[in-house]
Amino acid sequence: MFAYAARRILATIPLLIVATLGLFALESSVRDPVAELRVSCPRCDQVAFDRLIDLYDLDKPVLDLSNPAESRYVAWLGNVITGDFGSSTSQGENPVSDTVFTRAKNTMILAIPAFFVIASLATFLGVFSAVRQYSKTDYAITGLSFLGIAMPTFFFGLFLQVFWGIWFHDWFGMRPFFTSQMHDDSFVDLLKSITLPIVTLTLVVVATESRFIRASMLEVVHSDYIRTARAKGLSERKVIFKHALRNAMIPVVTIWALDFSALLGGSVVTESIFSWPGLGPLLLTAIFAADVNMVMAIILLISVLAIGFNLIADLLYGVLDPRIRIS
Amino acid sequence: MRTNRRLLGLLGVLLAFTLIATACGDDSETDATPTATDAPTTTAAGEDPPATTAAPATTEAPASGGTLIWAHEQEPPDMALDDPNNNLTITSWIWRAMLEGLYGIDSTTSYYPQLLDGEASIADNGDGSFTVTGALRSGLVWSDGDPLDTADILGTHAIIIEGCTTATADENADCTDAVYNLGDRTGSDMITSIEAVSDTEFSYTLNAFFAGWKGLFDRLFPSHVIGDAATANDLFPEWNLASGDPIPSSGAMIFDNWERGVAVELVRNDSYNGSTSPDAKNPGLAFVDGVRINFVVDTDAQINALKTGEAHVIMTQPQLAFGDRLGTDSNITLAASAGPVFEHWGFNLLNAHLADSNVREMLLFLLDKSEVMSALYTPLFGDLLPAEGLGGTYWLSNQPAYTNHQSDYDGSQIEAAQAKAEASGYVLGDDGIYEHPTRGRLTLRVGTTGGNGLRELQQQLIQAQMLKGGVEIVIDNVPGGAYFGERPFAEAALAASASLGAEGDPDIWDITQFAWVGGPWPGGQTVAYKSDSGDNPYGYQNADFDAKADECDSTVDEAASATCYDELDAFVTQLQADGSGLVVMPLTQKPSFYAYNSAELSQNGVSPDANNSGPLENVQDYQFG
Repeated sequence: MFAYAARRILATIPLLIVATLGLFALESSVRDPVAELRVSCPRCDQVAFDRLIDLYDLDKPVLDLSNPAESRYVAWLGNVITGDFGSSTSQGENPVSDTVFTRAKNTMILAIPAFFVIASLATFLGVFSAVRQYSKTDYAITGLSFLGIAMPTFFFGLFLQVFWGIWFHDWFGMRPFFTSQMHDDSFVDLLKSITLPIVTLTLVVVATESRFIRASMLEVVHSDYIRTARAKGLSERKVIFKHALRNAMIPVVTIWALDFSALLGGSVVTESIFSWPGLGPLLLTAIFAADVNMVMAIILLISVLAIGFNLIADLLYGVLDPRIRIS
Repeated sequence: MRTNRRLLGLLGVLLAFTLIATACGDDSETDATPTATDAPTTTAAGEDPPATTAAPATTEAPASGGTLIWAHEQEPPDMALDDPNNNLTITSWIWRAMLEGLYGIDSTTSYYPQLLDGEASIADNGDGSFTVTGALRSGLVWSDGDPLDTADILGTHAIIIEGCTTATADENADCTDAVYNLGDRTGSDMITSIEAVSDTEFSYTLNAFFAGWKGLFDRLFPSHVIGDAATANDLFPEWNLASGDPIPSSGAMIFDNWERGVAVELVRNDSYNGSTSPDAKNPGLAFVDGVRINFVVDTDAQINALKTGEAHVIMTQPQLAFGDRLGTDSNITLAASAGPVFEHWGFNLLNAHLADSNVREMLLFLLDKSEVMSALYTPLFGDLLPAEGLGGTYWLSNQPAYTNHQSDYDGSQIEAAQAKAEASGYVLGDDGIYEHPTRGRLTLRVGTTGGNGLRELQQQLIQAQMLKGGVEIVIDNVPGGAYFGERPFAEAALAASASLGAEGDPDIWDITQFAWVGGPWPGGQTVAYKSDSGDNPYGYQNADFDAKADECDSTVDEAASATCYDELDAFVTQLQADGSGLVVMPLTQKPSFYAYNSAELSQNGVSPDANNSGPLENVQDYQFG
């Protein structure tokens, strides 16, 4: 297994290089801040331009626009290998790594509980729906799932703000949750801050995952070995949870891995609506500000997370199904 | 059956969680707005008061406490306002609460003595130079208790000009090697000498008259802690001294804390010298304990934050939806003022159609500004803006010297417009669009930076108005901020303008929609029209205009100067006898829009925002209760 993991990790290196090279070429070529300043501030003197050149590291190999993109990329890659992600022009020239680390922690505060809620709820709904196939409850869950899939995240997020922040207050004179920003003065405040963003994150993902789990369960519960298990007189609970669910979850692990890595990478829409100081709004700000170093760092993190969790999913296959041998 | 029980159990757990969370979320504090005798409190839902470092209120403090929460979408990259790369509006709005200058600007976009003890005077020395003399109010102090005196005027100038050569009687200072991160030193580079006569009295000499002299020293730096330009460059971005203390303030607030991505916090300056603004309702210390600027990226979320009490003020781009979402809430007061930013269409006089003054007049006759106003602005802003639209570019509608130069064209005058077209040989085609035998079909492209919904709607309304009179307008916006560099200010377009079409490419654009900024000294507009400015995209060159502009810029008497600029405006907003002029079609001022929670704030601090000064301009006025 170790050799397999090592090979997989090595195989991700070219993938990361291709992904970051493409992004670097796009991101670093879209903006020439010095040219923009010449237009927006015609009376600016040389010190202003020098300041920009210094701020954007335009005199350094990575971002000097007079250098070819590939050589700038090589310089960036060299810095990254040594742990130097540069400084951020959109965050007061603070080190990119410090900012990303702080924001990633905030994103994790949402992502980890959200993932567990999603996984639990989606599994419950998926299994229940499959076991009660074509029942009224199944139809209800199916209908709600489609509604969840169809509903834009921003709409649901704003709806929750209005519902809990305004309507609920009008009805009961209280506001149980914060509708924006992270409040971490106490655990209760934190709980009140994370609830609505987590519910928003949960809705769409649960809707999708529950459909997937339902389909996977249906495939398994109609297989011969399940029929055999029932014929042997095992309780329905054992049949479903011990024999069917375990096999049904094998493909689900991949979905979970992708979803979890996506949550950890930050949700631009949800975090923006709830003004959550995570990676999502940071990425948005960095893109608008053409903050190449910041964009590259976040995208690299997201790429590494996606690849890493896929690897974990592959390794988990062997754990979930001993018939799958990793050679 | 068992599964049903489990489902019910799960629902029960979820319900219990909701109830617990609800119980925890009792926002009884929310409605407990502080009174004059209350201890400082907070008004956000269930939020504890932010930690502050404010000194206890002095006995003179009229503090009623509370933290004002302003939700805003834009977070500054840093606090270095003068850095041309970082000069975001939000940074300037925060600076307004912290640093004051010799003159401030009031709601009529006029200067008033801010730190000055009465007006400063300017005297002609007879040799071409002019000397400004003035006196600071006595007893001024910085928030750290250090005296604010003429040393700060000299220190501020030294920082701005450090690295420049010294200005002489004949030449302005050369600031190629200036140290302080400042884009534009216009005026400061004309100062040949500056002197502190006493702790309060000062004078400085300009090598020539500078009409915008009152705008110099619009904020003073605390020279006792910021001694040179390099230190200023180093400290301003984070607004902290090496000791970790904030840079001292002369304004009503002191910088306190910045949690990136979350909020900037200010606390009351208990040593504040008081406001002399004619707009100020409270001339003393701020009522509120502090201000928290929450960064709420999404505009809808800002509205929700205001409605839920998690913010008390928002000040954002005016949007039609605000009327529906906020106007119906009795707890929210919408307010707006005619801002200094004005929208206009500018004509490329190198275009074959637009070079003909009849066509330009035709467009004016077809444009019904009042319809644009009633469709876009009146529902939201009532009679705040002139119903007939804007008719000037040098002086704006809320300034005393304003004149509507385009009143002759008010309303939709289709017949008059078509008469102008036909006088120039245009013939109405079967499709309702005029055509000229040599210039071709009367189709004109109008462009601006895409993505601004209100502005695009404005374009579409005008497009429909023009179509009624036989002019086809094609909207040619460029996404994002690239418009300026790709259209009227493209190198080839500017070259064509400067050479009247002999060089460059005169066909890059036809009509451009810009938003420019006015102010108490309108002479800055001139660069757009002056023949040799290098910043004139219109292909407009008029020696009479140039001479008049020089005359206005050198007129010392304020009343005469105001009249002069108004006359100058007529050159570009009205058709002249020689067929020149009518280069620009002003449309409207952009309203500065804000909304505040009037259920919690008994008094708001936002003065009419004629100078884009932001919600903290009169921050000492905000009061809860």
